[in-house]
Amino acid sequence: MGAGVGGVFQKLIWVDNAIAAIPASEGYLLVDTKKCQGCLSCMLACSLVHEGIENLSLARIQVLQNSFEKFPDDLTVAQCRQCVEPPCVEACPEKALYVDKKNGNIRIVDIKKCIGCKSCIQACPYDPGRALWNPDKKKALKCDLCSNAPFWSEKGGVKGKQACVEVCPLKAIQFTKKIPEQKGDTGYRVNLRGEGWKKLGYPVD
Amino acid sequence: MNGYAGKILRINLTDRKTSTIDTRDYEQWVGGHGMGSAIFWDLVKDKTISGFHPDNVVTIMTSPLSGTLVPGASARTEVQGIGVQSSPIEWFTRSNFGGRFAPMLKYAGWDGIVIEGKADKPVWIDIRNEEVKVKEAQHLWGLDTWKTQEEIWREVSGRGYDKWVELDSEQRTTQRPAVLTIGPAGENLARIACLIHDAGNASGQGGFGGIWGSKNLKAISVIGMGGIQIADPKGLMEARLWAQVKYGTDLKNLDASWFSKFGRKKPQNRFWDPHESARLQACIGCHLGCKERTNTGFGNESTCHETTFYTAYDKSKHGGRQTSATYIATDLLQKYGINAYEASRGLTYIRALQRMGIFGSGKRLNCDLDFRKLGEIEFANEFLKMIAYRRGIGDDFAEGFFRAAKKWSRLEEDLKTGILPYSYWGLPEHGYDPRAEVEWGYGSILGDRDINEHDFNFLFWWPSGAIWAGKTPQPPAGQVVKIIAEKLIPYENNPLMLDFSTDNIYSEHMAKLVAWHRHYTRFWKESVLYCDHRWPEFINSKVPGYSGITGEGEPRFFDVVTGKKFSFLDGMELGRKIWNLDNAVWTLQGRHRDMVHFSDYIYHLPYGGSGNYAMYHLPGREKGRWDYIRVNGRYLDKTKFEEFKTRFYNLEGWDSRSGWPKRKTLESLGLKFVADELEKNKKLGAG
Repeated sequence: MGAGVGGVFQKLIWVDNAIAAIPASEGYLLVDTKKCQGCLSCMLACSLVHEGIENLSLARIQVLQNSFEKFPDDLTVAQCRQCVEPPCVEACPEKALYVDKKNGNIRIVDIKKCIGCKSCIQACPYDPGRALWNPDKKKALKCDLCSNAPFWSEKGGVKGKQACVEVCPLKAIQFTKKIPEQKGDTGYRVNLRGEGWKKLGYPVD
Repeated sequence: MNGYAGKILRINLTDRKTSTIDTRDYEQWVGGHGMGSAIFWDLVKDKTISGFHPDNVVTIMTSPLSGTLVPGASARTEVQGIGVQSSPIEWFTRSNFGGRFAPMLKYAGWDGIVIEGKADKPVWIDIRNEEVKVKEAQHLWGLDTWKTQEEIWREVSGRGYDKWVELDSEQRTTQRPAVLTIGPAGENLARIACLIHDAGNASGQGGFGGIWGSKNLKAISVIGMGGIQIADPKGLMEARLWAQVKYGTDLKNLDASWFSKFGRKKPQNRFWDPHESARLQACIGCHLGCKERTNTGFGNESTCHETTFYTAYDKSKHGGRQTSATYIATDLLQKYGINAYEASRGLTYIRALQRMGIFGSGKRLNCDLDFRKLGEIEFANEFLKMIAYRRGIGDDFAEGFFRAAKKWSRLEEDLKTGILPYSYWGLPEHGYDPRAEVEWGYGSILGDRDINEHDFNFLFWWPSGAIWAGKTPQPPAGQVVKIIAEKLIPYENNPLMLDFSTDNIYSEHMAKLVAWHRHYTRFWKESVLYCDHRWPEFINSKVPGYSGITGEGEPRFFDVVTGKKFSFLDGMELGRKIWNLDNAVWTLQGRHRDMVHFSDYIYHLPYGGSGNYAMYHLPGREKGRWDYIRVNGRYLDKTKFEEFKTRFYNLEGWDSRSGWPKRKTLESLGLKFVADELEKNKKLGAG
């Protein structure tokens, strides 16, 4: 089923109310977990530009850390992968989680259609799951690469900016249009440390 | 209430009951210290009680900016109450710490916590959003601060933190609870015990660890999954990026940030040899971390003074090479929950006494510590254990080394010779000696503690560092004081406030600098909770003209979060009001100008300064010309300091004969109720 994109097979699922092979997203977030300083500014910015409030539980990117653990195992970053084969899209019974063809094929939640069944949240195979739950609105949320960030003056999406990328003080998050390796984590983990990082006295390898 | 959770949690440990205070009742004080002082004023009727008295109230406050994207202002938590460390009076005091606690408290729906009473058995407080439980802590009592936190984390989640933690079917988080706890030192009522959060954030000064111990309070844990309303979300995002781009560190062009506090070229604030591998680590919301987590896990998140605690002994013992003992000794400070300043100055002190032949095994001051092992982990552990568990003469150490010296009948002599470097209020000197950097010493002695406010301290480090490296400091002193003076509202454009030459340090100009410093810190840093590491920023090398973010940044962020129109000057004026309220509390506690004095050595022993500090430079005028002058070799003139106090009291509108507040001044600040209380207690200043 489906056509190959980037060496990955796709399934037949709902796209913009029509059955078609699902096109790959035109944008992805990559992170450098060794560069991240654990300030959670990306989470605060994400919640701020999307919801107009500061709420870590509503951030579409999550940073998990343990104060007592050894570097680099003390921290990990969980960002939405904009999967080439997105189980969250497949799982949505209302087609509320869909591929937005007008916005670079970003996997996105149509809040008006979302019935709050949490199927997408359960379907995300990663830990922690990348689809979120808004307990006040009883709706699912997920990363839209800031294509719909009503509390930000900048244009978002695959042709614009992403709040987490812009706000990260250490530039540990990167936007790319290239499809990352889908197997495992390695495609979404990159080394963004350069000469400046070396000058700070930290390893760049 | 944009920026606020809307309510403050009040916990009476005696009956284990909780209630709430409407934040609006104290909104005029904005947050942090201002709110804490006002709540303390209202709830503690007899302000002369000991810090160990069950009626002592400890406030743990956040600010409207806590938990938001405001750079270097999201994560400080302000702790206040009657302390137990200072002498001769246990002053009403403060201490704040970073990490994750304040944001988490706000997300849970609370602007602060007010602790009253005393539990009959050890307890911990478990806050999960709105739900608050006072729980038995027998299983935690005796654990060090790190194990306590890990145990609580386990208990709250029930299964680790590698996936979403669900408190119920609706509320989820990936974050660990923020836990503030005491270690064995606090449990054993050490006056030098800290509150510890995560690996290396400490509310260190004042002895709040011992106070919690006396209340049988082991820990407070908070996990929050709610949100904070922001008045102008677009404005906040815009301001954050503005500050970051214009003033922050540029990793692609680090050299441009060769001088800045807000966006430093070298952000790490540690003084030991670095690890081979580590990450820079920041508090929540900070644009530039100052801590690290390391590949060995040793020294995680420790900064500043505690990183100097054991380095010299370790190197001396190991042929100039630093070993893991340096990091591990610091971790022990954090785990036992001991004030790093007391431990380090105390160790220097007993080392001096040991060399004098009066301290050690079988000596008059009998102590089994084997000084031949000084520099080894074993020695550090034994020394700190003696404090934490009050073992042997450690029972005296735990009282703080000032009280120990007094008990040993050595106080007068050792303050005269200066081998006990405790310059103000029986508290250890910070390293920035009052004879050299007078604004630090004056601020401390006119207040309640070693101020630990580095606002003007860069005026020592920056030029002195250049001089130590054989370079000429740039920009020149005249230009630097002019830029700073422009920002010293309401005393703006008076560079003489920054003249540290001996002729000027008792002047009205210096009194204004000290007053500005008291008012700025009381509001912007201790009530709004801008972090001392990143604010204020007067000078920034990235900016044409070198003018830093201070002045514009503070109110801009405040306004976008709260929706208020609050100018920098408004903040300075509220800071003055809070400072006056604090001084009224100290007055009720028994302060009089006659007791406002430094220790003896400050008045007759010239300041030498060890190591690099022997070349201690600050801006000043020599023969009418501005330069970075050397201030070593001087001591304070006691008579002139008396004159300075008079100038300072007059400037503040306090009675210069007593140092007590005047009714006129208090009423002009809206503090009539304070004047009435002082009058009732016959402590109102004349005039």
